[in-house]
Amino acid sequence: MNRRVIACILCPNGCELEVTWNGEPTEQSLEVVGNLCPKGTAYALDELTHPERTLTTSIRIRGGVQRLASVKTASPIAREAIVAARQALRPMVLDAPVAIGQVVVEDVAATGVAVVVTRAVARRSGPERPEPPSHGGERTSAG
Amino acid sequence: MAMREAQTRAVPIDHAVDVVIIGAGVVGSALARSLSRLRCSVAVIEKESDVGTAASARNSGVIHAGINYAPDSLRARFCMKGRELLMTWCDELNVPTKACGKLVVASNESEIPGLKRLQATGEANGVPGLAIIGTDEIARLQPGVRAVAALHVPSSAIVSPYAMTLAMAEEAAVNGVTFHLECRAIGIRAVEGGYAVDTDRGTVTGRWVINAAGIHAGRLAQTIDPEAPDLYPCVGEYLILDKQVGESLTMSVYPAPPVGGSGLGVHITPTTEGNVLLGPSDAYVPDPETTACTGKTADRLLEEAKAMWPDLPAHLVIGAYAGTRAKRTPPDVGGFGDFLIRRSPDADHVIHLIGIESPGLTAAPALAEHVVHEILRANDRFVEKPAEERVHRPWPTRFDELSEEDKDRLTAEDPDHGDIVCRCEGVTKHELLHALHNPLGVRTLAGIKYRCRATMGRCSGGYCLPRMVDILQEEHGWGPEDFVLRGPTSPAFAGWLIGEDRD
Amino acid sequence: MTERSRVADVAVIGGGPAGLAAAAAAAEQGARVVLIDRNPQLGGILNQCIHDGFGLHAFGEVLTGPEFAERYVRRATDAGVSLQSNTLVTRLGPDGEIACSRSGQREQMRAKATVLAMGCRERTRGMIRIPGSRPAGVYTAGTAQWLTNLANVRIGRRVVILGSGDIGLIMARRLTWEGAEVIAVIEKLPYPSGLPRNINQCLLDYEIPLHLSHSVTCIHGKNRLERVTVSRYDEPGTPVPRSEFDLDCDTLLLSVGLIPENELSRRAGVVLDRTTSGAAIGASYMTNVPGIFSCGNVLHIHDLADWAAEEGARAGTSAARYADGANEGPPLEDAIPIRAGDGIRYVVPQRVGRSTDQVLLSFRVTEPRRETTIQVTSSGTTVGSMKLRKAHPATMVQMTLQTKDLTAPVEVTCS
Repeated sequence: MNRRVIACILCPNGCELEVTWNGEPTEQSLEVVGNLCPKGTAYALDELTHPERTLTTSIRIRGGVQRLASVKTASPIAREAIVAARQALRPMVLDAPVAIGQVVVEDVAATGVAVVVTRAVARRSGPERPEPPSHGGERTSAG
Repeated sequence: MAMREAQTRAVPIDHAVDVVIIGAGVVGSALARSLSRLRCSVAVIEKESDVGTAASARNSGVIHAGINYAPDSLRARFCMKGRELLMTWCDELNVPTKACGKLVVASNESEIPGLKRLQATGEANGVPGLAIIGTDEIARLQPGVRAVAALHVPSSAIVSPYAMTLAMAEEAAVNGVTFHLECRAIGIRAVEGGYAVDTDRGTVTGRWVINAAGIHAGRLAQTIDPEAPDLYPCVGEYLILDKQVGESLTMSVYPAPPVGGSGLGVHITPTTEGNVLLGPSDAYVPDPETTACTGKTADRLLEEAKAMWPDLPAHLVIGAYAGTRAKRTPPDVGGFGDFLIRRSPDADHVIHLIGIESPGLTAAPALAEHVVHEILRANDRFVEKPAEERVHRPWPTRFDELSEEDKDRLTAEDPDHGDIVCRCEGVTKHELLHALHNPLGVRTLAGIKYRCRATMGRCSGGYCLPRMVDILQEEHGWGPEDFVLRGPTSPAFAGWLIGEDRD
Repeated sequence: MTERSRVADVAVIGGGPAGLAAAAAAAEQGARVVLIDRNPQLGGILNQCIHDGFGLHAFGEVLTGPEFAERYVRRATDAGVSLQSNTLVTRLGPDGEIACSRSGQREQMRAKATVLAMGCRERTRGMIRIPGSRPAGVYTAGTAQWLTNLANVRIGRRVVILGSGDIGLIMARRLTWEGAEVIAVIEKLPYPSGLPRNINQCLLDYEIPLHLSHSVTCIHGKNRLERVTVSRYDEPGTPVPRSEFDLDCDTLLLSVGLIPENELSRRAGVVLDRTTSGAAIGASYMTNVPGIFSCGNVLHIHDLADWAAEEGARAGTSAARYADGANEGPPLEDAIPIRAGDGIRYVVPQRVGRSTDQVLLSFRVTEPRRETTIQVTSSGTTVGSMKLRKAHPATMVQMTLQTKDLTAPVEVTCS
């Protein structure tokens, strides 16, 4: 007998679902207790057979008032695709300004799901970020 | 990290000066300041990334009145002379001191003779105003203290020990003293025309060598003077209380001296910034660099402090620290030994300052003047620089403590005075940058912290660390690898999160 | 230069969800509103909360923190609030005088009503007195989140997290997504502090061990963190002897509690509630100081930004009415008290305050419960009750109480 406790995330009630099944989890084999509505049962099955997650991370921004803009997958993607999606985003750099909802990539890591910006970053005015301090030289007094 | 290490470790130092000082603690820095007033070349060898990081920053910050030391001892002599000089120096340097006074409290009648002995010792040392007082007077001076009687020591005062050390060192630096930081002295040996101090980065030769190496002074002395004594590290742990507590506790409160102890007992001390310290403990340890704190000791500090001040708000502890005393007395003996100022028998111009524990902070300026006096006495040709040649470098008054008018005026002159980066301590961006651009070239987070107080508040950097990182990354081109806590071996971060981030 | 000219009807201190909502609500009531925030971007802590889960109650959508913030910034802007970023309030007087400071300018202004919405700070290592050395690599979880999400800084590679509250759990996942090894989450209580959803999605998904009834009892590493010692706690306060084990790591994140940031309030004479560390208020969210209101995390720590914003809106509305001359009723100390009884940790508001027909109570239970009943009594009579399928200290509970006929102190209990 397999048993999992899953918190349903579909609505604010956050029902705690006690899920039990024998063998493989299927619509028939699953017993779900604790849900206030039928959507909970469907959610439990999804969680056990093909769990999905929303990836939220950051992208580098060039020429903006912030270095990073937060982004998310426009809808949940397969949990197993999260790592690949994160990796796919790593080399990307966007130029400021960026707006909430702006598409970073239409289809990340072949999930069919887009990644969008979740935080606006305005263009930076004034000088570029300075170069790192020059290294070398004795660290002694000025005298 | 590679760049930082290249900067400091690969640069060899091989040169000759008139005076080499080993150790940039409060004593070494005081000596550097004194010598910087003479026309002579001085180099200070310091193994840490900043000055005053060991015992000099890990004490109670007390300017001792002179009640604890036998009248014929060096501790008494240098305490009394030192406190006079210290007040003058702090005035010149604009380092905050406060004549808050001290109560040494007797928790029961049997402790009163101990108070009277302290009083007698103090009076023999010339300490003014000592009086045994009763509960009414105690309540008037410091409400909330539990005692049957107390010795009131009005001349006991407090100072910011790290501000004092930094102020002295930085003034010395702008007056021509060379500081070799991240440079570890290995040994001293006689050479033609003087003495060589071998370090891990080369050799500095001097006509004089002053060994002010704190807990390591004994070992270092033994490299040229095998008969020099050993030193034994004895750790003292402290707890720091929120500034709120400093609104109610405005005098130092000490217990009657513990018989046979190796410390002065757990005391409660206000600081010049308004915090309150509990401590120190005392326990011999094998590691001279012990700075770790223990849970058992923290509990005991609270217990013993509460015995003297029952209303002590233990929930307002905001931090802890620890440091080691350089004890001349071994663990099986305990107690206190006297200062030892030793000249190497066959090396007349090497002076060792050994066992400078309490009242080392108070004594530092007097020890410095004494060494200078010894140098000049030996017919050395060093003359005093005329006043016009000396650069005066006062410690800046904390912006938070200025008048409203001064704050307004300064903010109009430089906008950075209006940008407050540390909410708990009221530190401005101007102060942060001033701390960053110090004459010693120190770029550690601890170095910035001790200079401007950022991250020393109750939130331990919750607001100001991000502000500091932002300013340094955005406006000074720092990358994550440039942020180190105390030196190259304490990196704050592990690089950029995403990519090699350079615009 | 100090300007002493500005006057507003309502000043809001803090531009996070509560402050933004308070400012918008006050402006929508017709008040002239100034909002003062110390950061360069409005939104408060939301700007670094790049994960989602916000807005379910407020908008029926699942938003990230920055998106949620943007909704309220827009609402405040549209309502005509004067928004001042990069400005720190240095002093608040009991008479409505506010001193603030920003680059190049120090300013004093006066407001008829002030809403405190300064949020909170994190409990630190020093406050909980973890023994050991003080190496680099020990961070509170919120600071770590800022460094990770806003400064593009990698804080470390091998991470232990103390505290299983939501912020610690979110960071466990975040750091794992960014290639760090999260070795374990350590929790002192026998149950997790965070939401079950976060236990699933942040720990179980990544097989990160959760050690309940444990805490970190020593930190090792002189310069950079090297390892932590973890011990079991069967009784609070006393580690079980010989239960300790070490975890090698280079980073320790502390998610050990949030403290309302009431320094300004304290100095203005606002009386604080010792349990919440926030102001003691009446039903209108006004403190004991006439004209000073409080809401959001500075009043009591919230688990949902949606609730903080809603509370802010209520406080802002009250503040606008006060500025407009509305009568606040009896002084706070004369108002009917609302007390936390058995099973309840605290209740906000702490008093009924001005005459009103109902008040929204916010409270937390002292321990996790199932199938429990919240009872509200006054002079032995039940004046309100609510059944809950489950209750957890980490999840705030809210309940409307009818107050029209109340004459005696009120007690809230959970059984």
